[in-house]
Amino acid sequence: MIGIGEYRVGSFPMMTIGLGSCIGLTLYDESLKAGAMVHIMLPDSSGRTDRPGKYADTAIPLLLNELSKLGSRKGSSIVAKMAGGACMFEYFGANLNIGERNAERVKNILKDHGIKLVAEDCGGKVGRSVTFIPSNHGKFTIRRADGTTCDL
Amino acid sequence: MKLSAVQADAMQELGNIGAAHAATTLSQMIGSPVHMSVPAIKAVDISELGKYMGEESAAMVAFELQGEIPHGGFVIFYITRQSAIRLTNTMLGLTDMNRPMNEMDESALLEVGNIMVSAFLDATAELLGFVMLPSPPAMTIDMVHAAMSTLIASMGDEVNEVLLFSTELTCEEHKIDSDIIMMPESNTLAHIVELMEKMMKPA
Repeated sequence: MIGIGEYRVGSFPMMTIGLGSCIGLTLYDESLKAGAMVHIMLPDSSGRTDRPGKYADTAIPLLLNELSKLGSRKGSSIVAKMAGGACMFEYFGANLNIGERNAERVKNILKDHGIKLVAEDCGGKVGRSVTFIPSNHGKFTIRRADGTTCDL
Repeated sequence: MKLSAVQADAMQELGNIGAAHAATTLSQMIGSPVHMSVPAIKAVDISELGKYMGEESAAMVAFELQGEIPHGGFVIFYITRQSAIRLTNTMLGLTDMNRPMNEMDESALLEVGNIMVSAFLDATAELLGFVMLPSPPAMTIDMVHAAMSTLIASMGDEVNEVLLFSTELTCEEHKIDSDIIMMPESNTLAHIVELMEKMMKPA
């Protein structure tokens, strides 16, 4: 299980639970049948380096670097999927737009790195858990609190 | 911030007084006795939040602490989905346990949370001479981890660990389990601890 700000890289199944405003992002390289998953909490690190997986701007370069260590080539077949970025509490105004800001930031950074976002389930008012199975073509399954699941 | 044993005792006592007042209001609302646990203090690294709060669904009514220190953290009334239905059934005179939650349940829970957290904060404010006003309530009925992590995300970029002060409130007659959880931001916590230490010093 991947906690807030944590990440994993490999071909084994990975899971992160209870995404609210946080983002569960996966990168998958079909040529390696391997991938990476991170549980991002906030859009900007503002120069902090202690927990690179926690912030969108440090998490994505980190995952790309880890994947390249596994043999992923620049401009290869890496594709991204993401879920989360919800607004769990409606009445708190500005500071709870974090979900939306997170999702936007992740998308912009993916674009900057030329990585294609092939599927997403973001926003709304619901919590989500994500299971990611690189060995099964990067299968990405979302589970909600009411027990319903869907594949991206 | 790390609490010393004495500071932890002081915070436990504060939680005790606040929760006792909240328990009294709950007891009045449902017309049955409510028991409370000894307040527990947990320091939780954000990466390990999932060990304490998982995918289970619960109703959570959250209030941001405002007043002398803005964005002072949160106080949360937490009640499991099953208990929430029992609680609103008791209040609304219903018996069906297997019904879905509706707007009536939600507004009842919001009001219960409002009354309990106000009692909690009134009691602590009186003791400390330090005003912590609750924001208007916000509620969600969803995965606990999703709700809590969203609140933590709004507490600031630098937060890597949170201190949770939680007291369990239970009603045996109606099988209701709930918690009052305080999650102060570090400046607020430091200020509260300072006030408690002053109070305990012999005059």
